[in-house]
Amino acid sequence: MNRVLFGRIVAANRLRVALSALGLAAWGLVLPVVYAAFGREVGAFVRGNPLLEQFSRFGDGDLFSLHGTIAIGFIHPFALLLLGITAVGFPAIAIAGERQRGTLEVLLARPISRRTVYLTSFVAGALFLAILLAVLLAANIVSATLAGVGPELAVGNMPLLWLNGWLLYLAILSISFAASVSSDRLAPAIGVPLAIVLVSYVIDALGSIWPDISWIRDWSIFHLVKAQSALDGTLPPADPAILALIAVVAFGYAWVIFPRRDLAAPS
Amino acid sequence: MSETAAIRTAGLGKTYGGRGPRSGPPVHALRDLSIEVQRGEIFGFLGPNGAGKSTTIRILMGFLHATHGDAEVLGRDVRTDGLAIRAEVGYLPGGIAFPDSLSGEAVLDYLARIHGRPAPLREQLIERLELSRTDLRRLVRDYSRGMRQKIGIIQAMQHDPELLVLDEPSEGLDPLMQRAFYELLEERRAAGRTIFFSSHVLSEVERICDRVAIIRGGELVALSAVETLLAHRRRVVDLRFDGPAPDLAAVPGVIDLVVGEGRIGCAIEGEVAPFLAAIAGTAVRDLVIEPARLEDAFLSFYEPAAVAP
Repeated sequence: MNRVLFGRIVAANRLRVALSALGLAAWGLVLPVVYAAFGREVGAFVRGNPLLEQFSRFGDGDLFSLHGTIAIGFIHPFALLLLGITAVGFPAIAIAGERQRGTLEVLLARPISRRTVYLTSFVAGALFLAILLAVLLAANIVSATLAGVGPELAVGNMPLLWLNGWLLYLAILSISFAASVSSDRLAPAIGVPLAIVLVSYVIDALGSIWPDISWIRDWSIFHLVKAQSALDGTLPPADPAILALIAVVAFGYAWVIFPRRDLAAPS
Repeated sequence: MSETAAIRTAGLGKTYGGRGPRSGPPVHALRDLSIEVQRGEIFGFLGPNGAGKSTTIRILMGFLHATHGDAEVLGRDVRTDGLAIRAEVGYLPGGIAFPDSLSGEAVLDYLARIHGRPAPLREQLIERLELSRTDLRRLVRDYSRGMRQKIGIIQAMQHDPELLVLDEPSEGLDPLMQRAFYELLEERRAAGRTIFFSSHVLSEVERICDRVAIIRGGELVALSAVETLLAHRRRVVDLRFDGPAPDLAAVPGVIDLVVGEGRIGCAIEGEVAPFLAAIAGTAVRDLVIEPARLEDAFLSFYEPAAVAP
């Protein structure tokens, strides 16, 4: 870790992170209000129709319980977009982007190792994600309380949901860093992890609303986030463990590869 | 290794590709390069695009890993002591880039703090390169090419490094700033610092370098003092005279002799003294001996049958 570099990374990304936090806070406020206003009616309507009921179970959530609504919000494309900016975009810019622009070369001409640059960037990214997820869940709590459905929320299980979500995005962050340190250009550094995330997301979404192919969800990292189970206190411990393992393996790959790579002149 | 060497390479080589059917045939970017840069000298590193200059510099700075051979900077192995080396080196890459959201002053502060050493030369460099406080407070993204280059020079030199490694350092500088920059380099040399730089501007190499190395196709083709290199170069001569023509056919070093009415054209390789002795009795009306130029030396090494002096 290098404190000067860490400070520079935080300063350079504070606006982007602040805007993402603002978006997630707004998103976190919306869904409990929607549930409080329409949840019971939606539940009554959907429960009589097996097809609608299945479709409403997108991402293991539902719209007729507070925990289910929060779970949908947690895994919704809007949340994915706002968190993906940091989980995919930040690592790509931090290494491959700086490399392509030539600013990484100026930095590495100082007595600072590639591993220190990588570790410092990684810690910053992990911290940004931790803050963003905390903002989302805090907004959920505030919104549920203000909407009068606070007693339905198992606030004590929110840290478990935060951990489950953080490990998911930490795994994506690690994969993105692995792609970033392996690439000389920004496009593949963004494209490869983005493709992994999108394919994985589509697989999970399809499997969650189409029972006949539900088995494909086992191939998606998003299936390892079970927001409703986390809030209900029934999260299988293997899921966060697998996410942590993915993060460790991807982190370790980048840790080994980055110092060994040739850094040719920026294009 | 010599006690005084700032940079030493021995059999240094870099090969790309050739590791499998998909990587294509091997490309030898650098072959068996052996040079020694003495402490306290200004050393020019010349060669056309793709000759291996940047590859060499990037190996010395730890950005590339040599395929074979050894390299030491300030007595330390580039493979194992990169951090210690970079603590003592100031580096200016070609086409330098900075974080666009910072001012020039913030860039210099940030890089100095990363370096972890004070910047005793900064104020002097800012003054000599004629950067105003207003300039320094502007964002780097609004800088011209020359302004960026000035910041690049300052960031490399501000901590008074033992060794300066500069890649095309005068690019983008106007003639006045180039002169100020050369004076700065000469002052650092006088202070005992070593300067290793690559350049395409042969006049600047000729003006400030003590020694030069010329590489072609990844191989060293010449390594000598600038004066030695120039002494072996061809000078074009134009002699106008009255009376009989002097006999220059057998004068050592005189070549390409063309004798006309009252006029002789020729070239001299090496010392001019034998030529001057041969025309001592001639009624000379005018004599022009063009100075030897490094450019001629440089170009001669790129002819097919080039031989190092």
